[in-house]
Amino acid sequence: MSGTSGTPVTAVVVRLKLSLLRNGLRQSGGRRAAYVASAVVALVFAALQLIGLIALRGHAHADALVVLLAAVLGLGWAVMPLFFPGGDETLDPTRLVMLPLRPRPLVRALLAASLVGIGPLFTLLMLVGSVIAVAHGAAAYAVSVVAVVLALLLCVALARAVAAANIRLLTSRRGRDLAVLSGLVIAVGAQVVNFGAQRLGSAGLGQLDPAADVLRWVPPAAAVGAVHAVSDEAYGQAAAQLLLCVAALVALVRVWARSLERLMTAPDGSTLHAAVPDGRARDASRGASHGWERLLPAGRTGTVMGRSLRYIWRDPKTKAAWVTSLAIGVIVPVFNAVQGTGSVYFACFAAGMLGIQMYNQFGQDTSAFWMVAMTISGARDAYVELRGRALALLVVTMPYAALVTVLTTALLDTWGRLPEVLGLSFALLGAMLGTGAWTSARFPYSIPQEGHKNVVPGQVGLAWMSIFGGMVAAALLCAPVIVLTVWLHAGPGADAYGWLLLPAGLVYGAALTMLGLRLAAPRTAARLPEILSAVSKG
Amino acid sequence: MTSAVSVRGLWKRFGQQVAVGGIDLELPAGRFIGLVGPNGAGKTTTLSMVTGLLRPDQGSVEVVGHDVWRDPVAVKARIGVLPEGLRLFERLSGRELLGYTGRLRGLPGAEADRRAAQLLDVLDLAGAQHKLVVDYSTGMRKKIGLAAALLHNPEVLFLDEPFEGVDPVSAQTIRGVLERYTASGATVVFSSHVMELVESLCDWVAVMAAGRIRAHGTLAEVRGDQPSLQQAFLHLVGATGRDAGTDLDWLGGGADR
Repeated sequence: MSGTSGTPVTAVVVRLKLSLLRNGLRQSGGRRAAYVASAVVALVFAALQLIGLIALRGHAHADALVVLLAAVLGLGWAVMPLFFPGGDETLDPTRLVMLPLRPRPLVRALLAASLVGIGPLFTLLMLVGSVIAVAHGAAAYAVSVVAVVLALLLCVALARAVAAANIRLLTSRRGRDLAVLSGLVIAVGAQVVNFGAQRLGSAGLGQLDPAADVLRWVPPAAAVGAVHAVSDEAYGQAAAQLLLCVAALVALVRVWARSLERLMTAPDGSTLHAAVPDGRARDASRGASHGWERLLPAGRTGTVMGRSLRYIWRDPKTKAAWVTSLAIGVIVPVFNAVQGTGSVYFACFAAGMLGIQMYNQFGQDTSAFWMVAMTISGARDAYVELRGRALALLVVTMPYAALVTVLTTALLDTWGRLPEVLGLSFALLGAMLGTGAWTSARFPYSIPQEGHKNVVPGQVGLAWMSIFGGMVAAALLCAPVIVLTVWLHAGPGADAYGWLLLPAGLVYGAALTMLGLRLAAPRTAARLPEILSAVSKG
Repeated sequence: MTSAVSVRGLWKRFGQQVAVGGIDLELPAGRFIGLVGPNGAGKTTTLSMVTGLLRPDQGSVEVVGHDVWRDPVAVKARIGVLPEGLRLFERLSGRELLGYTGRLRGLPGAEADRRAAQLLDVLDLAGAQHKLVVDYSTGMRKKIGLAAALLHNPEVLFLDEPFEGVDPVSAQTIRGVLERYTASGATVVFSSHVMELVESLCDWVAVMAAGRIRAHGTLAEVRGDQPSLQQAFLHLVGATGRDAGTDLDWLGGGADR
């Protein structure tokens, strides 16, 4: 398919993209089912949105909503290649580097190929729905056609430009680390969207207007804005918005073409040496230890804590799990409190979510657990190891749970209940740490390091047993403190003696953790080879 | 002659597959010992069981006179291990990994850091000490693994395929460190399927195939009247009779295309 022989490159690349899509159907049974199901779900969702948008026609704030929608679509296209670099193989221009292609036909061909697929089809449906929702009159419909084409081209060009600019990043280890975090962005994003939708439901679409006033000048949302402007007979504004989109498209394609050219002629990322250390990392880890490490206790305890704390930040899987826990731990109680629907007891969510991190401790090590196993010679070593990990968790969890509890209490203005909710939180945290330590020793399982899965196929039952069994056990173990709370509230003593729950919860939680560690330690020491083989399957 | 490692009746099955089928072996102390065999011979399984990382179905292992399973305190302090196919804590820098390992091994912090710095220097890793291990090449990983295994100055060092995928320069560095280490009276047990390497490094060899020990003894004893260890090995595992040449008579220049 040389550019000189006359075969149109565009047709070839589009055919390549179509074969790649078709090959998705040729995978093994389960994968094919997942592929088809995700395609069907995406299209059904798009179709429903289309119907919903058409139904919105004539609504006072429909224009604000569709402008926002177009902006979100654009944003989605911009970040997608960062999170799913493996999603589109034609996205990686370095694969075409050996072919004798000139940049200009290649840009055209790749842009055309980008328009083929489920994502573009989904976007097209959303955009069509958006313009139908706001178009009134023949002129508006005519502009709509231009607007939809422009917006769609802008979306795919945006994705291409971002991908080409970041291809070095995306094919490197850091890029793969980033991909692991994508699931997390989606999870937390879903919470925020959910919250936003609830607010809109209660406060009305009028809330969107200020945001839409800005976004209607930002491509690709500006294209949809132009359709609305024509409907309002503001032709000058419409022309300006469309021009803005055209200018943005030209600029994007130019940026993309330039980075493409650079990629095709410069050495590929895999041969580049990443050895140039950035100054900050070098300075930070120079010498014996970081500043914060000197604050840790001496001996194995401090060593284990230091490694655990470092891994929260440096290991993408651990980081993703932590950020999810931290985010959900604050979102659930605080958002509910802001809406006035929550209870102050929701603050225990923070402790519960963070306590989960104690589960499957050795699975988090992956097969590197052998390094730990080689240094555990008895129950005492195992106890110190597990205790170090629990302490590392507490360094983050205790202040965080306290902060979330204070915040929730403040938002609900129920200061009188602060001590008892803190007490309950600490009791729950202690129970989670205790059961977490025990299940870590009893039901270890592997965590795959690549991709989004958190359990390898054969160990799903084990993971369930570990996490859900452990959580139920933790809840049951907290029963005495819960009963005490209820009992105090049933009687007249809640106001006078409620504060007692703080020390009671603290002591009880600490006792549960100690007990869990004591029971887990001999088990861990006796089962080191079994644990190692259980966590080495990822 | 005292034994560094003494293995008796060692068995391991994975389902129907017998990985190690009854090994008895005495490895002399103070030697450079090679455990050789083709892929799948059971070398890794054997080394895992000897070092306490895998529980045998049957049999016993003693390292410098201490039972691996009954006296882990005495054994773990005396051995260093570089396993094959297991990860390291790769999100630590090389320097941090050694500091971490040394402290877990019970060395005082300052001493661990001093030894780590020297090992990084000798193994030519000083320039990459602040890089995360996940970004290391295969050769660098083997070297940092070796450093971690040597930190606590073990009496017996077990290395599983330490030269696999390692460039000649790194291999020479590793070799230098190991030779210095054995010269001081320590024992190295390493596995490999590269006979030339074993022949040039080791003074004592155990040949493994299909989960059993086929021959063991000094290099000269195992080699016998064969010209090289490679020949002796092929003879031992019964792979000498086959000549691939006759089946692929079309292959190569001169023949019909």
